[in-house]
Amino acid sequence: MDPSGIFPTSYRTDRRVIRTRWQAVALVVFMGLLLAAPYLASGRIIAVLNMMMISAVIAVGLQICTGYAGQINLGQAAFMGVGAYTASILASKTGMSFLLTIPLAGFAAALFGFLFGLTAARIKGFYLALTTIAAQFLFHFAVLNLPSSWMGGSNGITVPPAELFGFRIIGETAQFYMNLAVATIMIAGAFGIIRSRFGRAFVAVRDDDVAAGIMGINVAATKANAFLIGAFYAGVGGALWAYLIRFVGVDQFTLFNSIFFIAMIIVGGMGSIVGALIGVFVIRVIQEVIATVGPNIADSVSFLGGDIVFAGMNVILGGVIAGVMIIEPKGLMHRWNILKSSYRIWPFPY
Amino acid sequence: MNYKMKPGLRSLLAAGAVALSATMPMKAQAEETYNLALLSDFSGPYADIMPIWTASREAVLNWWNATSGKELGVKLNYKNYETRYDAAQVASLWPGIKSELDPIAVLGLGGPDVAALSERLPEDKIPMFMATAAYGYAWQPDSWIFNPRPTYSHESAAFLAWMKEQRGGDAPLKAAIMASEASPAYVDMAKGLELYAEEHPEELELVEVIYTEVQPTDLTTQMRRVARAGAEALIIQTNTSIVVAAKRGLQANGADIPILMSSHNGLPASGGALGGLDQLEGDFEAYGMAVAADEDTPARQFYEKLVAEYGLDAPWNVVTAMGMSQGLYASAVIAHAIEENGAEGLTGEMVREALFAAPITTEETRGFLPTLTFTPEAPFPLKGLQVNVGTVKDGKITIEATGVDVPNVQKW
Repeated sequence: MDPSGIFPTSYRTDRRVIRTRWQAVALVVFMGLLLAAPYLASGRIIAVLNMMMISAVIAVGLQICTGYAGQINLGQAAFMGVGAYTASILASKTGMSFLLTIPLAGFAAALFGFLFGLTAARIKGFYLALTTIAAQFLFHFAVLNLPSSWMGGSNGITVPPAELFGFRIIGETAQFYMNLAVATIMIAGAFGIIRSRFGRAFVAVRDDDVAAGIMGINVAATKANAFLIGAFYAGVGGALWAYLIRFVGVDQFTLFNSIFFIAMIIVGGMGSIVGALIGVFVIRVIQEVIATVGPNIADSVSFLGGDIVFAGMNVILGGVIAGVMIIEPKGLMHRWNILKSSYRIWPFPY
Repeated sequence: MNYKMKPGLRSLLAAGAVALSATMPMKAQAEETYNLALLSDFSGPYADIMPIWTASREAVLNWWNATSGKELGVKLNYKNYETRYDAAQVASLWPGIKSELDPIAVLGLGGPDVAALSERLPEDKIPMFMATAAYGYAWQPDSWIFNPRPTYSHESAAFLAWMKEQRGGDAPLKAAIMASEASPAYVDMAKGLELYAEEHPEELELVEVIYTEVQPTDLTTQMRRVARAGAEALIIQTNTSIVVAAKRGLQANGADIPILMSSHNGLPASGGALGGLDQLEGDFEAYGMAVAADEDTPARQFYEKLVAEYGLDAPWNVVTAMGMSQGLYASAVIAHAIEENGAEGLTGEMVREALFAAPITTEETRGFLPTLTFTPEAPFPLKGLQVNVGTVKDGKITIEATGVDVPNVQKW
């Protein structure tokens, strides 16, 4: 809902992502703060932001596939793994620049995701969920069983650092700017996708695929495209992960990770790019707070013992996620939208 | 009351104070403090054993501070960090650990720590000391991550060589491996031994290499194959679930093939899962570390000392032995570094150099580990490797063999 006085007078203005001057100001301030973050925050915070940005790229891809197109996807970590391995292999074996390996990682993951998207044309719901879990196992067994000279097998792959004009992108700050640049492009792209005819087709198929088909939307192609795009994002996120950790192993991309990505978009709010970002932020912040506060509590309340403190902190993590779902099942973004609407129409109730 | 001290008395007291301070050791006056980061997993797959592991290595560090550290004028502070056994968590924690602690060494736990830090530690020049056996995939030169034990394949090869010797005869020992593709580490264990068997056909014949689920429900069919192939030993270094299913499968087939387990899935853990140690009568565990048996060994005596004098609250078992051995060899390396460079200005790089400079003797690790001679060629000692073998006799864990030499296992 737009604030009072904002009336789109053309299709172009109606499609705008930034609709008010304050939104533009807020975005500029936010980006300014992000750009200045390495000079304002500690290395630990920058490391956390690095993880958030990588997770954000992957979660936004999942949001497009699941939140917008309604295609349940429990294989996002496998798609991320395909991207990570592609970037690692290209970087370590051919010395290719990260400017090429990152998009190629996205394309490789997109191809893998597209295969599962084709199955989505025929099945849905629980059946589709099971099929996407198969992506996890397929990826896992392929890495371990193909000749180790191809994908490293159980040895994993060591990734050389990204380089730009002879400058090695290592350390929190340099990687932060690389991740920020890629995440900005990917998130801006996501806003573009959801406003395009593809995005509207995704929503139509999600809401009623039979009706969408009757309206002339190619349902099978739309579902496959949703997986393709979602996996592309996961692949790009995987490439960023590979350059950050500089060692990829198959056990870094598990079903457990896929479920966490699902948790991120559910907590943030399904069907919203900003919701995915909020979900990533909330879940990662809780995880990091627990990891940071836990040792201090364990030190200061030593009679409790580390086991009780750390186990208790994870109960809190689960409790917060459950609490958010109980209070706002549609996610935090939905609550934010209600608050925003209430503010805009105040003093009227609706 | 206004009391004014007489000048003579003041001079006498001052002289006494100077004389007293001169008799005190200089090191005790200027105690240097260094930090260690301890990576833990209280909420992931190792949550059940972490309290014991943590208590054991912390007790060793407390003991070291009160004894060797005091003599050297150094105190080792330590702090536990929760990693959830997750590489992403380790990667995000690491910059904070660096800036907060500026550690001279890290005591790691498992694979995610290695994955997240293997490329970071050389840049930050901080060594990490593990407690487990090593992996073939981490067998790289110039490592900053070190294991006091060789790879799992080294340990199983040593056991099989010892078993062949016990059996006698020239025929190769027939063995089977149970592994799982659920983890690259499990695959690695099998691949190393496969290569060893390939290169030593006179020593070992692998009759079956079976990959199963990580939590199998029934392995009766697989065990029938193993028994029919004439296996004389069954190697299971993966987890307790596979040991339990394999044991039940062997019992169902009426087969009595001894199982070899490792430290993390050893006799106490697997016996507990099977309902009692008596279920594993005649089975074995073998690793390059002291066996936590009931016998009165130097390692056991040191454990009792830590319980009595340093408040160690952990049972005498293999997890405690792992935690203690980790603390012991890490603190021994730091002591070497201090002896070489002095107590002041110690860095992680100096600690790593000290690791290569002199062996860590079995006396320094109180009999928990054999004498360790590290070289830059590998993250674990390549020479003088030995394992100890434990078994169950009359429902009790006993030491079957000590100081069993590890054969030459090639890199795979």
